Amino acid sequence: MKKTVILIGLAFSLIGAGRVQAQEEGAGHLDEVIKRFSLLKDYAVDVKVHFDIETLKAPDMEGRLYYKAPNKMKIESKRVFFFPREGGYFNPAAFKPENFEVSLLEHLLDEGKKAVRLKLIPKEARWPNQGFVLTIDTKRNLIIGIDTFPFGEGGMNASIEYGRFDNFDLPTRIKLQLDIPSNEWNEPRFFGSSPHRTKRISGRIEILYSNYRVNIGISDEIFLEREPAR
Amino acid sequence: MSLFCFEMYKTFSRWRTYISFGAIALVVVLIEVVLKLRPEQILYRAIRSFQPGFLISGNILNGWFVTSLIMNSLHVHIPFLITLVAGDIVSSEATSGTVRLLLIRPPSRARVITAKYLTALLYSAGVVFFLGLVCVLLGLSLFGRGDLIAYPQGGFGIVIIPENEVFVRMLLAFSAAVWSMTVVASLAFLFSTLAENSIGPIIGTMAVVIIFFVLGNFPFDFFQDLQPFLFTTYMNFWRRFFDDPISWGEITRSAVILGLHNIGLFLAALVVYRRKDIKS
Repeated sequence: MKKTVILIGLAFSLIGAGRVQAQEEGAGHLDEVIKRFSLLKDYAVDVKVHFDIETLKAPDMEGRLYYKAPNKMKIESKRVFFFPREGGYFNPAAFKPENFEVSLLEHLLDEGKKAVRLKLIPKEARWPNQGFVLTIDTKRNLIIGIDTFPFGEGGMNASIEYGRFDNFDLPTRIKLQLDIPSNEWNEPRFFGSSPHRTKRISGRIEILYSNYRVNIGISDEIFLEREPAR
Repeated sequence: MSLFCFEMYKTFSRWRTYISFGAIALVVVLIEVVLKLRPEQILYRAIRSFQPGFLISGNILNGWFVTSLIMNSLHVHIPFLITLVAGDIVSSEATSGTVRLLLIRPPSRARVITAKYLTALLYSAGVVFFLGLVCVLLGLSLFGRGDLIAYPQGGFGIVIIPENEVFVRMLLAFSAAVWSMTVVASLAFLFSTLAENSIGPIIGTMAVVIIFFVLGNFPFDFFQDLQPFLFTTYMNFWRRFFDDPISWGEITRSAVILGLHNIGLFLAALVVYRRKDIKS
């Protein structure tokens, strides 16, 4: 009996230790990614968005994206512009280990490149009902894939390709696969109503990034909303 | 041609002809001013389906969007305004006692009725294009320009039409709306040939339009099966010009069906009027 209790205790402590080690290793990978971009203060980049979504038929959209660490972002476009909220732009500070419960899911060998998959669950309810699985290229310390796993339904998958700009590896292309539930659909009409409700927005989005300008000292004023979208 | 000009002159000499134009101007000004003052609600409804997933920027509530929004109310007030003239154009001759005077002149009844019918059609086109003109001019001056966010006919989602395509599509849509409204004019015209006063044709036409519209929108299988036989089903085909890609097949089908209604209703009016025993 005594032996059994000791064995069970030992097993639990081994599992617990393994789990702690997995968490530490996962957090370590995230730290490496953030460290790599610690000198990235801001950037401005031209973006071109191509939609392949049945419920959003739109021509390719072009705009200029401004980012300032830690989390300021703005899109400028002379025309109507739709930009994906999740996964659409590169923010190295978005996945700070202290904000998530991190666990290492697996080690990968993707086309000869070593990578890890980490599971991230937000500690605070900043993203309710949502967590992430990140794929990190461990050689370059770059996030090359993001999957969301909402506890509800639907989600987003992003794959990211990088290029070298001013000593930083920054995205040149992000491919998104979306499947998100829409709010209740109600077309604005003065008479009658649409019967379509609880639909989904599913499809692919490809975002191309070009003409990076990095650490140019972007002013905070640029992120102030001068004129709300009318 | 002179008979047609004469009918046009008679129609546009009456003050009641201008009620429609005044009403349209008033409605459009009211809607656009209210939208300008309180744009939040309409904006929220316009893009709320996509707001959880997308950051949305740009001038969404622009003149083109407001115009397409007001166009959605076409089937409510425009038919009524059209019947005011089309339902009156023949029967008013009987009411005012000028029908004998008109018919003892050399032109045949067929020519007289054709001239009146063409006048009713031209008036219908004038009303719809006036609506478009007021919407676009006032809309662009109040709300500016931009890409058009449109809603495809019978589907979920949105279509973003680049600004350089919007004018042509809007012109085609208004032309299609004119074509739709000519069916209402034809129906009112037929009723006008049957009646001796103007009230009957106006109320009769509106009753038919409303009943058809209501029947076609009831969410029961029986009424849904009726839809293909109701001309009101095809009257919204102008919205297909805001689809991507434009569904030309559906547009052609609707236009042909509405055109056949026009021909049938006009021929019926022609037969009725030619055989009519003029007693007043």
